[in-house]
Amino acid sequence: MVGAAEEARLNRLESQVDNGGGGAWEYLCLVQKLGARRSEKVLKHGLSILNDPRARSRLGVEEWTLYEQVAIAALDCQQIDVAKECIAALSMKFPGSIRVGKLEGMLLEAKEAWADAEKAYARLLEDSPLDQVILKRKVAMAKAQGNPAAAVEYLNKYLEIFMADHDAWRELAEIYVNLQMYKQAAYCYEELILCQPIVPLYHLAYADVLYTMGGLENIQTAKKYYASTVNLTGGKNTRALYGLCLCGVVIGQLTKGRNKDEKAESPDMSSLAAKALLKDYKERSPEKLSLVTTMMKNMKLIS
Amino acid sequence: MGIGVFVGVLGGLLLAHAAYSTVQYRGMLKIMEEEFSGPPPNVIIELLLGLALCAIAGLAVPEKFHSILPYSEENRVVSLPANLDFMIFNHRGRALPFDPELKLKT
Repeated sequence: MVGAAEEARLNRLESQVDNGGGGAWEYLCLVQKLGARRSEKVLKHGLSILNDPRARSRLGVEEWTLYEQVAIAALDCQQIDVAKECIAALSMKFPGSIRVGKLEGMLLEAKEAWADAEKAYARLLEDSPLDQVILKRKVAMAKAQGNPAAAVEYLNKYLEIFMADHDAWRELAEIYVNLQMYKQAAYCYEELILCQPIVPLYHLAYADVLYTMGGLENIQTAKKYYASTVNLTGGKNTRALYGLCLCGVVIGQLTKGRNKDEKAESPDMSSLAAKALLKDYKERSPEKLSLVTTMMKNMKLIS
Repeated sequence: MGIGVFVGVLGGLLLAHAAYSTVQYRGMLKIMEEEFSGPPPNVIIELLLGLALCAIAGLAVPEKFHSILPYSEENRVVSLPANLDFMIFNHRGRALPFDPELKLKT
């Protein structure tokens, strides 16, 4: 999970490193720790460390994790040659390691040699049939080949064994959303909320899925989850505030003409959200304030 | 930071000394063939002082404490890590030009 302070630190270090202010190793460590995908920059700065024998020897054993990080970044940037050299260095140091074997498989994947990659992974799985990383690579490979149905199948099999892996649940949810299978995606997000109840982004994603499914009941639930996102983020999440506004409007439309007591509390929360949004825009982006104000007026959330 | 570490080391030394004096005291009691009912008062004072110093060091050395509120500004979750275990390589980024100068020199 990336916190606000950590994100600010990452951005600060990134601009420092880009402007030649040093701290490349610190930056690479932070990227690794936060799981950020900044392949281009990792490749550039990682290679500058690896090509400098003095800087490289200063890292000690960390040198090999840097080789791994750079190899993956190079694959992501389609720099197959660089990746190949890094992996060759690693396999010379650690012959027969599964972790290096995974990198070799990924190299084949990047070259789109699917059959070879499949064979490489199958060979690794013979030795350790429950290796999580390799099983996840198989899912990714199915996804890369444009076969989400197979990816879903693999992931479901994987999750039967490793039920507590929230990254896998998130991936499954995202694939289901891509396939427009919202009911299944909602189930995955429920699982994620159970697993990590204080991560607001899962509440937000769950609410988004419910809102997309539509229907009065779903939208009422979605509104509750948008509200809990607002609660968990201290009102700093713009998307959740917009979600509250839209839910309020849709519920108003759906219950129009029905009994009046249901309507009593709902416009209240969405107009509060609208006010919070306007305040936020006033502070952070005053030039767009008039646009938002007209939109809110059209939705009859503010007068 | 420097003072905190110094206080911590001092507290640790005091605790070690208290242990040493207790062992000595018990040895003395054995010679005098008396029952051990409790540590002598100077050891107790030493223990309390050592505890206080260690507690001060424990609060002073790590410097800033993190907030435990999930929505406080410092540890508010703003994004999730990119799911790198599932990363795929045939994405649209491959259409971008990359610097051919980037090479691993061995």
